[in-house]
Amino acid sequence: MKYLDCFRALARQRTDQIVVTSAGNSGQAWWAATRDTEATFYLDASMSLSTMFASGLAFARPELKIWAFMGDGAFCMNPGMLMVERQMNLPNLTHFLVSNRVYGATSNAGLPNVEKNDYAAIARAMGLDRVFELANLAALERDLPTLVAGNMAGHTFVVLEVEPFSDAEQKLEQPPFDGAELKYRFGRHIEARTDCDIFGYRL
Amino acid sequence: MNEKPSDIAGHITDELAACGVKLVASLPDNWLTGVIDALDRDERFTHIPVNREESAIGLCSGAYMGAMGSAALMGASGFMTVIYAITKINYTYEIPLFLMLTLRGGVGDHHKHHASNSLYLRPVLDAIDMPYRIIDQPGDVSSISRCYHHTRTFSRPMAVIFTRDLLRGSRP
Repeated sequence: MKYLDCFRALARQRTDQIVVTSAGNSGQAWWAATRDTEATFYLDASMSLSTMFASGLAFARPELKIWAFMGDGAFCMNPGMLMVERQMNLPNLTHFLVSNRVYGATSNAGLPNVEKNDYAAIARAMGLDRVFELANLAALERDLPTLVAGNMAGHTFVVLEVEPFSDAEQKLEQPPFDGAELKYRFGRHIEARTDCDIFGYRL
Repeated sequence: MNEKPSDIAGHITDELAACGVKLVASLPDNWLTGVIDALDRDERFTHIPVNREESAIGLCSGAYMGAMGSAALMGASGFMTVIYAITKINYTYEIPLFLMLTLRGGVGDHHKHHASNSLYLRPVLDAIDMPYRIIDQPGDVSSISRCYHHTRTFSRPMAVIFTRDLLRGSRP
């Protein structure tokens, strides 16, 4: 499915989930689909840490549902993250692996072993139970509400098979935030949603 | 040196608990096994053994954004692998991070293969302008709290670095 169509469909199905994006394309696509300025942490170019960041957040705030996007380029850098995710097995965390089969943030450069990488099989081999693959919009529209509904038994891993960005899509706007601004926007939103105190003082 | 290594581990965990730390992510270093065991047994903490040190940076940074106190525990070699993660996440977004490291390659380290840490750990910390404090004596363990709170006050990472003498005793 088209990357942007996939993210627009995800955005339509989002209710109150907090979102963490990964480098490059997922941040661009989520910004294009949502223009979310509060409830999304656009984690730029962490080289595979979006779901670890999201896991820390999900662990700290079990009352929130967290969606974390990660490209398969980032996944290839650190697949062992799934061992940590499985160990934590957080029922409020959904890891969306956005599989475009390229390093999308670097002009669609080639991934290693791209033809044979089976991300769902890797996840199952790490012991994950709730592993799903969505390869087209119809499946996403049909199955996603069930997959990410509340009261899940544990961590959810969803592989989204998408096409790489086109040359025109590569020029989509990046989320236009400086780091500290994003931290405070997002953090204040979390504080308001949960009545927690992140920064040591409340506005 | 009056305290045994097991006492030191308890002292360190008490300090962390006093700071409000709930989540500790770790990768092992032989000098840290006593501390890791103590954390693992201690119900005041959730201890997450991670697959690589960068994952600890991600976990602790996310926990901060959820208002949970956290600490990352790792050896000097592990720290040397996380420079990008720290500068990208914690410097760019000004997210506090508290690290506990080992002074590998310091006086008393028996392992020649830590020569690189001996030469470059502290210069690398200096190169990224990351404050640190070396903890060499049991009486200095109480500075953990001050360093932890420093990270929150200045929205920056800071490390405390444990010596072999502190963690294993000052055997030759």
